[in-house]
Amino acid sequence: MDLDMVKYLAELSKLEYSEGELAKTANEMTDIIDLMDTVKEINITYDDLKDNHDVYLNDLREDVQAESMPTSKVLQNAVNTNNCFVVPKVVE
Amino acid sequence: MKIRDMRKALDDRQVSAAELAKAYLDKIKQYDGKIQSYITVTEDIALKQAEKAQSVIDKGESKALTGIPVAVKDNICTEGVKTTCASKMLENFIPPYNATVMEKLDAENIVMLGKTSMDEFAMGGSTQTSAFAKTKNPYDLGCVPGGSSGGSAAAVAAGLAPVALGTDTGGSIRQPAAFCGVTGIKPTYSRVSRFGLVAFASSLDQIGSIGKDAHDCAILLNEICGYDPHDGTSSKNAVPDFTAEIGESVKGMKFALPKEFFCDGIDEDVKTAVLKAADEYKAMGAEIVECSMPSLKYAVPCYYLLACAEAASNLSRYDGIKYGHRVSKADSYEELVIKSRSEGFGEEVKRRILLGNYCLSSGYYDAYYRKALALRQLIRQEYNDIFDKCDVILTPTTPSVAYSPEKTSDPVQMYQADICTVTVNIAGLPAISTPCGYDKKGMPIGMSVIGRKFDEATIIKVADAYEKGFTPVAPKL
Repeated sequence: MDLDMVKYLAELSKLEYSEGELAKTANEMTDIIDLMDTVKEINITYDDLKDNHDVYLNDLREDVQAESMPTSKVLQNAVNTNNCFVVPKVVE
Repeated sequence: MKIRDMRKALDDRQVSAAELAKAYLDKIKQYDGKIQSYITVTEDIALKQAEKAQSVIDKGESKALTGIPVAVKDNICTEGVKTTCASKMLENFIPPYNATVMEKLDAENIVMLGKTSMDEFAMGGSTQTSAFAKTKNPYDLGCVPGGSSGGSAAAVAAGLAPVALGTDTGGSIRQPAAFCGVTGIKPTYSRVSRFGLVAFASSLDQIGSIGKDAHDCAILLNEICGYDPHDGTSSKNAVPDFTAEIGESVKGMKFALPKEFFCDGIDEDVKTAVLKAADEYKAMGAEIVECSMPSLKYAVPCYYLLACAEAASNLSRYDGIKYGHRVSKADSYEELVIKSRSEGFGEEVKRRILLGNYCLSSGYYDAYYRKALALRQLIRQEYNDIFDKCDVILTPTTPSVAYSPEKTSDPVQMYQADICTVTVNIAGLPAISTPCGYDKKGMPIGMSVIGRKFDEATIIKVADAYEKGFTPVAPKL
């Protein structure tokens, strides 16, 4: 995997690497992708209709009004709060 | 002492819940400095819970786990108690709610001893990617305890907890149980609610139990299973008493031994111990059936492609805003997110996010992610074919015994070491690992019994049948 691909993936992943880390990561990812490439040896196709017969993802809860979590609890793990989540100023 | 013996001792007033809790807390103080199985010891909570449990016992209203000390893996949300996932990202995270399993255990009046160490975000097989406690193997402090539930397994092995909760995405209960000479069960996917379990790979993650033997694991498992409206994938299947079949004969049962699990990559000591166990089952009247699972060759890449794709998505929630690590200074929203994530996540977590985004990217999706989905179908089919002819499958839990931390530096080598466990998660099956011997240096060897979906009772019976004739060797602390 070349450095440009690692930079691209880092951008997608919202991560940043120093130049030194980029080279090390490129080497590690090359070895990892070599292992992943094993799946290319077998010629099979995914059957979209076959999966998840036993997991009923449409079995939703009744739409019943329930008590919400108090705001203080929701905010208790946020570092910067003023009774709301605070982010750096965004000007488009 | 097994938890069923504790139950009797508590109900017969031979010991109080507080005395039991204090005994474990004292042992943690004495030994956990060198084993480092806990990230957080919750002494005050444990003593308060013990007092409450005692009042329930005194009223004659005790349930299966009332007053029983339990250790909890640190990726399971505990209201008011730090849940770090062994990551700098969640170093100060205090959940505002309990995971469903904790609600169920609180209703039993358990005594929580603390939160155990693990690989960061459950990504690893050594507990050496933990940002806070790189747990040691109680059998040899120079070796890893396995992972990712290494803290839970080491705590049980060292007698620092009688039972513990772990989680298993690709072997994270069974592999550390094997390395630490204890028993661990990964139930069928959907058996136990994942609500409040910090997500790694949602189609694979499952909470389970670790204990001194299969019977203790079953007692804890009995209390955490069941439908939960908060988890959309949670099963509505009835939950039987998993201890009900314990003691029944295995005579006439068919045990499958897939030849690929006994190939060249598996250490001779491990192979020999598992095959010897197969002989013992044969002596008990079981029939040993050789079979094949050709897709095993693709299991590790299939697992890592699926797990990392899901992890990349699940971990995108960590942006430094609502919770989790946040950099002290950033001039823009984008910079805040990137810097918070880059500082908060460790190397292995970052690698897996990169791999996940790679296989989901345009141009690579079909070749990697969709191929992994196809392989998942193939692996499930091969398991179904085996279960058409056999009752359980017997395999080694790990290719080797526990190794030194230095051997964990090569990610590819670490991934390949998951070969014996990942297919169970890919297929959503239940499996239990139990000790079946020791290598020449005295390190524990584990074997796995894999069952049909929702047939935990059978694999618990099978593991228990072997354990009754096996004499475990305790670690010397």
